[in-house]
Amino acid sequence: MSDETKSCPTPSNAEPTATRSTVPMWVFSLTLVLLFLGFVYFDHHGGWFDERVYGPYASADQLDSYQPKSGAAAAIARGRKIYESNCGTCHGADGLGKPNQAPPLAGSEWVKAKGVQRLTHIPLMGIAGSITVESQTWNLQMAAMGAALPDADLAAVLTYIRSSWGNGMGEVTADDVKAARAAIGANPHPMSGDEMMKMPE
Amino acid sequence: MKNGISVFIAAFIALGASWCGFVLAPALQLGTAKQTAVLNSGDTYPVQRTGDATLGLQVYRANGCAACHTEQIQQTGIAFEVVLTGAGKNPDAVSNLISTLKLTGLTKEEADSANDKITAVGGKVETHLIPTGADISRGWGVRRSVAADYLYDSPVQLGSLRAGPDLADAGTRLNNASWHLLHLYAPQSVVKNSAMPPFRFLFETRKIGDAPSPDALNLPSEFAPPAGYEVVPKPEAKQLVAYLLSLHADVPLYEAPYTPVQISTNAPAK
Repeated sequence: MSDETKSCPTPSNAEPTATRSTVPMWVFSLTLVLLFLGFVYFDHHGGWFDERVYGPYASADQLDSYQPKSGAAAAIARGRKIYESNCGTCHGADGLGKPNQAPPLAGSEWVKAKGVQRLTHIPLMGIAGSITVESQTWNLQMAAMGAALPDADLAAVLTYIRSSWGNGMGEVTADDVKAARAAIGANPHPMSGDEMMKMPE
Repeated sequence: MKNGISVFIAAFIALGASWCGFVLAPALQLGTAKQTAVLNSGDTYPVQRTGDATLGLQVYRANGCAACHTEQIQQTGIAFEVVLTGAGKNPDAVSNLISTLKLTGLTKEEADSANDKITAVGGKVETHLIPTGADISRGWGVRRSVAADYLYDSPVQLGSLRAGPDLADAGTRLNNASWHLLHLYAPQSVVKNSAMPPFRFLFETRKIGDAPSPDALNLPSEFAPPAGYEVVPKPEAKQLVAYLLSLHADVPLYEAPYTPVQISTNAPAK
C-alpha cells in the first residue's frame, strides 16, 4: 500500500497502474459463506432448474404431492372426456351402443369380466368378424381406436367404461395396458370374438 | 492497452455466461414446449387462436396495450380446503366433528389430518387446492401464469406496468364482445372512473344508410354520435376484441394445479 501512495507524483501522461496485493482473509471467507448460503437457499427454493416448477412451489416433489389424487375418481373424470371424443360416437354417451353399428358396453360381459386382459386387447387391436355381446351376435369391424392413446389415457377410458352405467367393476391400470401392448407386440391384427375367447380372461 | 487479451477474454466469458443463462438455457428448457394436458381431463391446453384473434394480438401490440396492461398473474402461495361431499351413515357424528375442525386456509398436513379424521367417522370429503395471492384475490385469475399460457403468443405481451388490470384471464372474466367494443370506443361509458384513453380510431362514425348496421354500437346518450349517424367497429376493433376474448388462463395444469370450483364469471370486473 505505502508503495502506491509514495509513487503518486508521476508524470501526468503515465498510465495509472495497480500493484498486486493479497485479498484480506475475511473477504475471502465471507464470500465463501455467502456462496454456501446462496446454494442452500437455491436447493430449498429453486426447483433445480425443472421447467415445471414455478413460484410458490419449491421442488418437483412438492408439486407432485399437490397434484389432485390420481385415484379412481380422477381417472374416471379423465376417462369420460376421452370416451366422449373417441368411443361415444359409436358406443353412445350412455354406453348402450347403436343398432347395426356398435354393441352396448353397459352390462356387456366383455366389460364386466373379472380380468381385464380381453377388454384391454379390444381397443388396442380392433375387432373383425362376429362377436357375441349379451347373447346377441354382432358382425362388424372395429378399428384399433385405442392404439394411439397413451397407456394412462387408455387405462382411464377403460376404468370409466368398467365403472359406469351400472357395470360396477374395478380400475384398469396403466400397467395392464402396458402388459397388453407388450403381449400384442409389433404386429396387431383385429380378432373375432371366438379368437378372443381363447385368451385368458 | 496492456493486458488487452485478458480484458477480451474476461469480457467474452462474462457475455458468454449471460448468453448461456438468458438465451441458451431457456431455449433448451422451453424451446420445444408443446400443448400440455389439462389436469384430470382429456383436453389439451392451450388451444390455437382463431384467425381474427391471432390478428388481434398484433392490434394489441400496435396500440401499445402492454404499456398499461400486464398478462401475468402472480401467486404467492397455496391453501387447502376440506369440503364435505357426503355425510355417510353417521351424519350426527360427522356434523359434530366438523363443527370442531378448521376446514379452510389449511396447509397440506392439516388438510390431510382433517381428511383422515372425517373419513374415520364415515364422512366423505374432498380436498381442494386453492392458489392464493393479491392478483388472485382481485379476481384477475385462478392460478399463476406459466409458460404454457403463452405458447401461441408471438410476441408475448407480458407487460410490466399496471395502469389497468391484468388481462391474462380477461376472456373468462369479461366475456362479452359488445362490452369490449363499448369499452374501447368510450371506456367511461361502461367503467365510470376508467383511466383508459378511448380508441375511437378503431371505429368509424358514418351516416346511417338504408338501415342501421347490425354492428353499430349501442352507446349511452352522452357518448352517442349525432342523430342520423352510427358508430361501427373497424376490422381492427373486432380483431382486438376477438383476441381479448381468447385470453383464458383458467385451466389447472401440472405446473399450476388447483381445484376448479363452479363460479359464475359472467360479470364484468368492478
